[in-house]
Amino acid sequence: MEKTRKSKKRLKAAKELNRVVVDYYLECNKAKEEGKPVGWMPPMNGAIEIFYAMDLQPVFPENWSPVCAAFGLTPQNFEITDGLGYSRDLCGYLRNITGYVYGGMNDEGVPLGGLPEPDILLSPGGGCIPVMKIFHILERRFPEAKVFYADIPQVAMEKIKRHHIDYAVSEMHRLIGFLTQVTGRELDYDRLREVVELSDQACALWDEIMSYRRFIPAPFSAAEIGIMFVMVTRQGTQEAVDFLTAVRDEVKEKAETGTGVIEEEKIRLFWDNIPLWYNMGLFNYFEKMGGVVVAETYSAAWSLRLDSQNPIEALAMKSLISYPLVSCVSVEKRKEMVLKACRDYSIDGAILHRNKSCVPITLGQMDIKKALEVELGVPSVIIDADHMDDQNFSVAQFETRVDAFMEMLLEKKGLDW
Amino acid sequence: MSSVSVQPFVSALNESENRLREIAQAGKKIIGYFCTYTPVELIHAAGFLPVRVMGGVGEVDDAYSLAPNFICPPLLLSLEKALKGEYDYLSGIVQGYTCDVACGMVNIWEENIGGEIYHTIPLPYNDNPASREFFRSCILELNEKLESIGGKITEDSLTNSLNLYAGIRKIVLGLYGKLSESLLPLSAVDLFHVIRAGFVMPPEEYLEMLKIVQKEIENAEIPEKSGIPIMISGSLVEDPRAYRILEEVGGRVVSDDLCTGFRHFYPPDGEGDDAIGRLINRYMKRFPCPSRARAKERAPLLIELVKHSGAKGVLFLFEKFCTPHLADYPILREELIKENIPAIVVETEETGIMEGQLRTRLQGFIEMLEN
Repeated sequence: MEKTRKSKKRLKAAKELNRVVVDYYLECNKAKEEGKPVGWMPPMNGAIEIFYAMDLQPVFPENWSPVCAAFGLTPQNFEITDGLGYSRDLCGYLRNITGYVYGGMNDEGVPLGGLPEPDILLSPGGGCIPVMKIFHILERRFPEAKVFYADIPQVAMEKIKRHHIDYAVSEMHRLIGFLTQVTGRELDYDRLREVVELSDQACALWDEIMSYRRFIPAPFSAAEIGIMFVMVTRQGTQEAVDFLTAVRDEVKEKAETGTGVIEEEKIRLFWDNIPLWYNMGLFNYFEKMGGVVVAETYSAAWSLRLDSQNPIEALAMKSLISYPLVSCVSVEKRKEMVLKACRDYSIDGAILHRNKSCVPITLGQMDIKKALEVELGVPSVIIDADHMDDQNFSVAQFETRVDAFMEMLLEKKGLDW
Repeated sequence: MSSVSVQPFVSALNESENRLREIAQAGKKIIGYFCTYTPVELIHAAGFLPVRVMGGVGEVDDAYSLAPNFICPPLLLSLEKALKGEYDYLSGIVQGYTCDVACGMVNIWEENIGGEIYHTIPLPYNDNPASREFFRSCILELNEKLESIGGKITEDSLTNSLNLYAGIRKIVLGLYGKLSESLLPLSAVDLFHVIRAGFVMPPEEYLEMLKIVQKEIENAEIPEKSGIPIMISGSLVEDPRAYRILEEVGGRVVSDDLCTGFRHFYPPDGEGDDAIGRLINRYMKRFPCPSRARAKERAPLLIELVKHSGAKGVLFLFEKFCTPHLADYPILREELIKENIPAIVVETEETGIMEGQLRTRLQGFIEMLEN
């Protein structure tokens, strides 16, 4: 297997996804040209719906990193960041975006036209430290941008109380006031309700799509997980709902007709932690041994519902729970979620990506490993890697560990390779 | 003229584990915390003893079964100690939210070490009336939790605890004042012991010891200070050899930006209409940790510390894999360069500093500053 490889996709929707990605980045650059305010923000919070409702352009620097990885731009970005004095032990997202914004960010040949410079930065207090630090770096790099100092309580999902919600709600109102002040645009609350309704529809479709992976054989694998692009960048738009509806229809049909990813699905796998964006082909590696990755932790970040009749509180709740749900802020809840997924998706084995670039997701993983063994008898294997930096990934070690793990799982089920 | 002895502090440190176990066995609950953003006054006011959990220097073994090797040594070593039963006197952990690792560790301890209270306070990042109101709600939530395990907090008990810790902080900050004026008859290693003992002692006893040493210092002869004045910036310093080596190669610590140092003590107190308001005010006005502040906010404060103390250079002493400090460093360095303040960065591992490498690098740094 190569160190960097694209995944083999089998859904027709994968082609459509390419169009959705290109359209989104075209829209971002067109917005800048037309004078529509462009705001850079972290993912997994309720600001995206506010932006779409106020006809502002949201841009997600974190999402740009997988794009850079897919286009092979990461090494040159890392080199620039190294030169600025940033440690190689820092998160790959931070190292990539820092190199990107301090390099030739809109040079000719930059894929998808690159990112338009921000007029607004939503700089978070909350979320992981690397994301906070990314925005501190961006504040320095783009001194003309208007900065909103966001503040979201860092609290485990199962421990959220009324005062956490009230503060998050007051922060959403403060954000709306800030955006009105710096852009001159008022928020139309009817429009916000529509956007939140679309966002909720996207979440419902997301859950429905994921639920079809319970079918044996599974209609699609983690190799197609790029579809989450719409959940990151397009939540609250009709485009997301249309795209996800098409995915749902295709996946449903495959599930109902028993069309699996491979001819004979022997082993059903769970993936914990962020994928290796420079090697999504790794998800196809298991297939030669009859393995299909049918569920993953990361997709749970969008498994929530939003009440469009109470849009501000719905967005506040989204902001409160999305990050803790997939990180060490909520180890207990995350463990519960992984165990439930392993039961619901009939998982035979779990692959735990010990991700050097993401401490918040990696911490707590060993407790999950123990619970899988003790409570469900589901074996797991640890893969040491990094979601952005291929220097921290050894193909040989991956193959050795995965081959042995798969052999063990097959033997356990009385099956041959 | 009399001499100054830090031996009581060294003894208190050496005996702390047994002492704390005795205190716990006698029925007083001891509650651990990792970061100094934990409002210890509240824990104390509830009738419990807050104690800082530290890793020290050592080898990590069992902790790797629960945590990856790419997190900071202090928290790995703390977990190692806990797994070996060295923190069996703790009733749990209360933590003010700072970095990803410290806060993830609260959950890992809760899952694997046990105890009757585990709580993380989601401290606000902004300081405004709404964030202070939210902070107050968080304090009240913690009050309830502390009371659920037998604590009792009143306006008077919290006021007393605030006064007690403010008294401690004022004395230590007084020592820092003398340090920056070259009037402190203590070595950096001595000061390290004086400060560290306070993390693991009942505060009432610690205050009395501080008063004695303060008096001794006032009456002591001030030895002529030599060496190039240096400021140290980083998170925790767990290994006193770093100070010793710096002094051996001709450096002299005159100020620091450490959470086992100045940052932990400043400001000594807060102001407010009631005890909780006073507590909130102090924690919102803390000398900032990079996990809760921007490099652009920290840089002027660091430069002021350097100038005020007369430091000729800055030693950034980082725990390996410490994201908040590593991520701020390039911006801080840039700002220091603008002020013609030279800096060097050194990272420490579980087994502490790598002596040979540190000595060579610091020697070069000091020589450069001398010229």
